[in-house]
Amino acid sequence: MDRVQASSAIDPVITAVIANRIDGVVREMTNTLLRAARSAVINSARDFSCAIVTGDNQLLACAEGLPIHIFGVHNQARAMTEFHADLAEGDAFLHNDPYSGNTHPADHCFLVPVFFEGEHLFTAAAKAHQADIGNSIPTTYHAAAKDVYEEGSLIFPAVRIQRNFETVEDVVRMCRSRIRVAGQWYGDFLAGIGAARVAERRLKELCAKYGKDTIKTFMRDWLDYSEQRMIHGIAKLPKAKLVNTGRHDPFEPLLPEGIPLKVELDIDPQAATITVDLRDNIDNIDCGFNESEACTVSSVMAGIFNSLDPEIPRNSGSFRRVKLLMREGAVVGKPRFPHSCSVATTNVADRLVNCTGAAFAQLGDGYGLAEGGVGMGVAFSVVSGKDHRYGDSPYVNQLIIANNGGPASARADGWLTYGLPVVGGLMYRDSVEIDELKHPMEFKHMRLIPGSGGAGRFRGAPGCDIAFGPKEHPVTVIYPCDGQHFAPKGVRGGADGTCAEGWHVSANGLETKLPNVTQIEVKKGELIRGLDASGAGYGDPLKRDPRRVLHDVLEKWETVTRAQAVYGVVFKGSLDDETLAVDVTATTSLRAARAAEATTA
Amino acid sequence: MGFRISVDTGGTFTDIVVMDESGRQTIGKALTTKERIFRGMSEAIEVAARELGLTMKGLLDQTDLLIYGTTRATNAIVTRNVAKTAFLTTMGFPDTLVLKEGGKVNPHDFTQDYPEPYIPRRYTFEIEERMSAEGTASVPFNEAQARSVLEVLKARGFEAVAVCFLWSIANPDHELRMGELINEMLPGVPFTLSHKLVPIVREYRRASATAIDASLKPLMQDHLRGLEADLRATGYRNDILVSTSVGGVMLVDELVDAPIHTAKSGPAMAPVAALTYSTIENLGDNVIVCDTGGTTFDVGLVRDGRLTYSRDTWLGGQWTGHLLGISSVDVRSIGAGGGSIAWIDEGGLMRVGPQSAGADPGPACYGRGGTQPTVSDAACVLGYFDPAFFLGGRMTLDTEAARRAIGTVAERIGRPIEETAWNILNLATELMIKAIQEITIAEGVNPRESTIVAGGGAAGINILPIAQELGCERLVLPKVASALSASGMQFADIVKEETASLVTTSDRFNLEGVNRVLSTLERKLKEFLATLGPRAQAAHRIEFLTEARYLAQVWELETPLEFSRFATEADVEGLVESFHKVHERVFAMRDEGSPVECVNWKARLIVKLAPEVTGEAGPAITALAAPTPSTTRSCYFGGTTPVPTPIYKSGDLKPGYKIVGPAIVEEPTTTLVVFPQTSTTVSGVGNYVFGIG
Repeated sequence: MDRVQASSAIDPVITAVIANRIDGVVREMTNTLLRAARSAVINSARDFSCAIVTGDNQLLACAEGLPIHIFGVHNQARAMTEFHADLAEGDAFLHNDPYSGNTHPADHCFLVPVFFEGEHLFTAAAKAHQADIGNSIPTTYHAAAKDVYEEGSLIFPAVRIQRNFETVEDVVRMCRSRIRVAGQWYGDFLAGIGAARVAERRLKELCAKYGKDTIKTFMRDWLDYSEQRMIHGIAKLPKAKLVNTGRHDPFEPLLPEGIPLKVELDIDPQAATITVDLRDNIDNIDCGFNESEACTVSSVMAGIFNSLDPEIPRNSGSFRRVKLLMREGAVVGKPRFPHSCSVATTNVADRLVNCTGAAFAQLGDGYGLAEGGVGMGVAFSVVSGKDHRYGDSPYVNQLIIANNGGPASARADGWLTYGLPVVGGLMYRDSVEIDELKHPMEFKHMRLIPGSGGAGRFRGAPGCDIAFGPKEHPVTVIYPCDGQHFAPKGVRGGADGTCAEGWHVSANGLETKLPNVTQIEVKKGELIRGLDASGAGYGDPLKRDPRRVLHDVLEKWETVTRAQAVYGVVFKGSLDDETLAVDVTATTSLRAARAAEATTA
Repeated sequence: MGFRISVDTGGTFTDIVVMDESGRQTIGKALTTKERIFRGMSEAIEVAARELGLTMKGLLDQTDLLIYGTTRATNAIVTRNVAKTAFLTTMGFPDTLVLKEGGKVNPHDFTQDYPEPYIPRRYTFEIEERMSAEGTASVPFNEAQARSVLEVLKARGFEAVAVCFLWSIANPDHELRMGELINEMLPGVPFTLSHKLVPIVREYRRASATAIDASLKPLMQDHLRGLEADLRATGYRNDILVSTSVGGVMLVDELVDAPIHTAKSGPAMAPVAALTYSTIENLGDNVIVCDTGGTTFDVGLVRDGRLTYSRDTWLGGQWTGHLLGISSVDVRSIGAGGGSIAWIDEGGLMRVGPQSAGADPGPACYGRGGTQPTVSDAACVLGYFDPAFFLGGRMTLDTEAARRAIGTVAERIGRPIEETAWNILNLATELMIKAIQEITIAEGVNPRESTIVAGGGAAGINILPIAQELGCERLVLPKVASALSASGMQFADIVKEETASLVTTSDRFNLEGVNRVLSTLERKLKEFLATLGPRAQAAHRIEFLTEARYLAQVWELETPLEFSRFATEADVEGLVESFHKVHERVFAMRDEGSPVECVNWKARLIVKLAPEVTGEAGPAITALAAPTPSTTRSCYFGGTTPVPTPIYKSGDLKPGYKIVGPAIVEEPTTTLVVFPQTSTTVSGVGNYVFGIG
């Protein structure tokens, strides 16, 4: 029987009971924000996260928060406490400053300090991606922004938005004067504060029930427990120093070579620590692709968590076992003002998640995972224009209808609706009908691409082919896509995924390839078409269970041609009359021959 | 009026309830016989008949109405043991059932394959057509291409067809034409058209409902017709109704046409029962119903006397399973019950579930080879069960096995066995409390202002601490708790819904269009009503509702209309105010400045079948002092020393008796733990009513 190291330190029952309650509070916040919010990016796509931070600014719980949103919320709470000596019950703050703990300016984080018996015990945080933040162009992802001034967003470094439970209308008026479709923003603003206030109420009830001392003991124990889980997770890994590299697509003309990335990991199972060195990376760049500190840390942590027991709680306790070495002024690390972090939550961050998670595959078979589909392309674009159906009223919103194939791991094929590495499949996808109802546009097609998943013993998930166009007035389509030049990489013999692509389709059907970062006006009769990237494979495709290959062919994930050419599986029977079966003898000899070829080569 | 019989065929047991004219209920239970449902059902009917001093034939001869509920459809959906079904979809959009709406439980878990779609991709066929959101044909219906697809379906022997085209709800012409072609080319093959079954916006939901419905048709038609034939063969001549997902009952013919409505056949009846018992006991019409089984804990709500509905019912797990898509009684399930296993995780924390010992081998105390410590074992160790007389003597319990199982956990945390058992029970209680909070929060219901009605064989173990923790001051454990769903059927009405989609906003309200939709819905229901005969005419009402939201929100809230048509703009304002109220209740805020967008319109026909229940004038709570118990037993209630605890058999008790805890009441099909510092009273009709606080 295992010895329980932490049992002497923590109460196994009361800790479990209160943790369950805290989890319930975060879920209630999540439910409130999801259902009361206005913009599709929140209420359809679920691009938001809720968390509870301790009074001493440690991340305590985050339930189903998006990986990219998780780390840093407690730094925002710290900024709140440092900037406001007069912190009081009834306060609420808006924080979106990437230089004092936020992810990127488009994520508005609502912070409510929770007081019990006069003491600041918790901070409730609700962070949600906004449909618009008043940037100089109608997108929340301003890839070309030379600096924060060109980016143009309104910045709120923990600005008080409620005092005594009353809204500071000055701030609301400021936002209304600068944010596009301000009514939509205001609805989300109310929903965000509402979610944080719900948590405040529940946390106070919890304190009243158990008493301040028990709650404080719980906070300590829960973080210790989480650290203990992390210790167990790291102790199971082999001791190793790993180096992995990655690269973000070029961004012409500024970055013709793209953005190179390097992650060095030092895994020490005895000490149960992982040290991550990111200092050997290039300096900040004059565009929106710089990482904020919060995004850097969250991406690295996501990559690590992807390679450990998925049950380990994500909070400041488990984070204690990871040491992150960052450099100020580096593209991944701590940004130097006034470099823009407009696109910090996705592009380079996605590559960083991939690069870190895939590094673990170097530990041997069974560890780590392949790289997942990246790129916010056509099916993630921000669309804006005038809606002829509603008196030419303006609209702006991000479509979240991409799938981007998930990476294969040592135990499973890629998750189909992966979205992006930074969200790990958590986001919802739009409905075609809802998108067409909300925007004056129509989709032409949306279909998965057979054979696009990176081959492997476990294969990556395929990407989608999608096209849409406006119904009346032109639509402005903006996207900062990655993954069009450098495909997600396979590991341990697994094949790479496929790249994303985008085209403008003229009225007579002529397709013109678009650059990976695009802003284009599409007119009535024209289309914009895009492919999602697919996930990469894990392990040798020739070792894939032939039954899985058969199933893939039957279900049109794979083609008969690729089954033989890539997987070395030979079939008998026919697909059309549903008699297709694996020819075991032929498959065995073909695979043996292939393996021999590979050895001689 | 003679007897009414209700039947709830579960995965393991078939429960039946026989109610006589005076309202007295008799339970019969037997093992479910999956190969032929009627065998287990008649066995259970015989058990009840014997108790009434009748033969089964004698009982059926005097029965006016038989109501049937079943998990047949649910099991078929979850195990995908359904007809070979083709999915016909708009050209260019073949992957609606595969891509679903996204979502995943754990972003860092890469150990699971992506779930299979409800209908395999190789059974998906694209039809050249496309409607726009405005209902115009962007691509005309290509009849030749559609015919060639149907030829393939015929050649490959498909047994059912699901048709879901984009925006068929804006203009159903293409779906209707597809239906005609199927009738012509595949005569006798059942099919479902999405706009008819579930005319709601969002293609995945509509497609999923359509696919599920079509796939069930051959199977449920055989099942229901077979059952009907078996019943008729006994000489039974009166009505047979089937309980449905909307918490009502319906004619067999209707369900043969749309079998998806039987997907929540049993569970949807628990809230109906709960409302009835709360009303009988004069405890109001805001009710939380909890049904504790061996592996799951189900929670449902009744608000202001109305059942609550949801379109977010997943079968086989949220996101990984299949969305039912139709509006059904909101009953949510978590993996916590008597069979849930307790364990200590790597960090030293105690956990309960979600793994369960299930029915086989079951908890260690069942003595069928189980060794894992379960919640039932904890209750057994605490002395709450009579090992020699479990479930009315139908089973003996192995207390030593239970102690050994709990001992494995006790040892790891270094605590005594009884204390560990108490902790396990408490942790299970916590999980159940959270499940209740999640549904009450989602619906904006305050548990403190509600009555809990508990059902299921394992409910009595911890329902009292659950109620205490939630601040519920009123709690009922009906005498028929172990057959709560079957009992609910006795009180169910005929319920039929018609829905249509028409999107309009309050600031430019399409008054005429909406009235037209409402008229159509009402007409359809009236046509159906006319088939039910004059008695139904006299006992019917029609409710009108809209699924609405603030402009640019995407999740609708069901908002009742206080009228059947919009006469003037003032009625629109009335609707807006109703919506503000609903939104405020659910989300604690209202946005006065925002227009309200109505998406779907619904009419609900309700035909009362059962006599109106009214509050009983029960005996005063202190009327009768505690009787002499049958026996006493040592039980544990948190301390390490046993407490001598009176044990009452149901035969010891009469209406009006007040039992002060600690005490245990052993009913033939359930055990009720009356914890120290609490008490329960036997009500005038034999239910257990608790006053807490």
